[in-house]
Formats: sequence, structure tokens, C-alpha cells
Amino acid sequence: MSNLTREYPIEDKRLWRCHVCNDLHYGKMPPMICPTCAARNGFVLIDRSEALKIIGERGGAISSKSDVLDAWRRFGGPGKDYMLVDDEEMYTGLAEGVLENLKNHGFRYCPCRLTSGDPVEDLKLICPCQFEAQRVWSEKGECWCGLFVKRDKK
Amino acid sequence: MSEGDRLIWFSGRECVHCKRLRPLVDDFQEENNIDITELEVWHNSDNAKLMRSYGDTIKEACGGELGTPSFYNEKTGKAICGMVTKEQLKTWAEA
Repeated sequence: MSNLTREYPIEDKRLWRCHVCNDLHYGKMPPMICPTCAARNGFVLIDRSEALKIIGERGGAISSKSDVLDAWRRFGGPGKDYMLVDDEEMYTGLAEGVLENLKNHGFRYCPCRLTSGDPVEDLKLICPCQFEAQRVWSEKGECWCGLFVKRDKK
Repeated sequence: MSEGDRLIWFSGRECVHCKRLRPLVDDFQEENNIDITELEVWHNSDNAKLMRSYGDTIKEACGGELGTPSFYNEKTGKAICGMVTKEQLKTWAEA
């Protein structure tokens, strides 16, 4: 089974802190090399209250259309197998959609699918989702919404 | 057409594919004298609840999730999903 189609149960995830620069990681295992300070094997297991104290009120917000588009462009940037679709109506419409869902439903859920009502299951619907595991990705080379497309798509 | 006997189109207000498909669905209804009931699911919780109640069939048609645009025939229990063609709509609408 490829990494893209495997399930990663949220129950297995823990919080980790880089003891050098206070980077945070939420996952089953921390990165071997800290992406911020490059410390090797620098992460230590912490609890939720410590993580929240570190974050405080920092971390920024992604609450405007330009914020969303910036995040999507970074996500689909050079070197990736996928990119943001070259269709302004499509990406601006979907940015408005995820912001509507953030306002009304608490997360930037995909506006082209519906939540199940199970909050853990519905994490899969936060945009960008795990689109490379979708049938439409292998068949058409795009995510369900048509927001991200294969970079080599003809 | 009464409830439980409808041809339903589940759509999302901000779903761009739904917006782009609307002229085709409108043409199809006019050309075939068929009524399709469009139910928006992100801004109407009753419509969302109804879509979830047909969830297994719609998920199968959409490749695993409750996608929009999707179409559910309450008479036959058949669903189709995505950027469908008029031919697909015709086959789906037939009782």
C-alpha cells in the first residue's frame, strides 16, 4: 500500500517540540531533522497544554481570499507533482467556498463534497485534501473540485 | 413531483462544477420536459441531512465521498455524480 492510500489514525498522533527552537510537530513520529533549525533528533514529546502555551495567540490566520490563494499556491509550488489549476473562476470560486465553510462549519471544508457529521472522518474534507488517493486523480489528473491538477496534465 | 418520488440534484452554492453544469441541466429539463429538484447542501441542513440519508449510493457513484454535483433518483435509487452528460442524465432519470 502506498503512503498516499494508507490511513493514518488520529489516535496515534502525539505532540512534539524541538528542544532547540520550539518548532511543533503533531504526528506519530517527529521529523528527524528540525525544518527550522536543522537540529538532528531534537524533538521531545510534550502535552497539549504545553503546545498551546507555545502557540499562544500566534500562528496567523487564513481567513481572506488572498490568504487562501497564497496557501494553495505555496502548496502547489515548483517541484510538486501537482499545481493550482490555471482557471481564475475555478480557484477564486473555490476560495470563496472554503471561506464560507470556515465561517459556517468551522473548517475550510471542500465546497464540492459534503461532511458526514463525524468530525474525525470529516478532517479528510479540509482543503487541500488527500486528493492523490481519489479515483478522479488517477482517471482525470485533477482533484474532485478541479482545483489541483497534475503538473504534467496535457 | 412528490417527496420520495423526485429526481434530485444535490449541489453546493460555491461548487464551481455545479455552477458550470447548471446550463446543461436546465437544457436537459426543458428538452425532455423533466423536472429535477435542485437541493443545495452546504447552506441548508435539511438538504444535507437528506443527501447523507442516501449516502451509501451517492458515495459509490462519486468514488467514495458525498460529492457535488450528484443526482439521486428517488424512484429507482440510482445515483450519478460529477460533470455528467445529457445522455447520462437521461439514463439516470428513466424509471
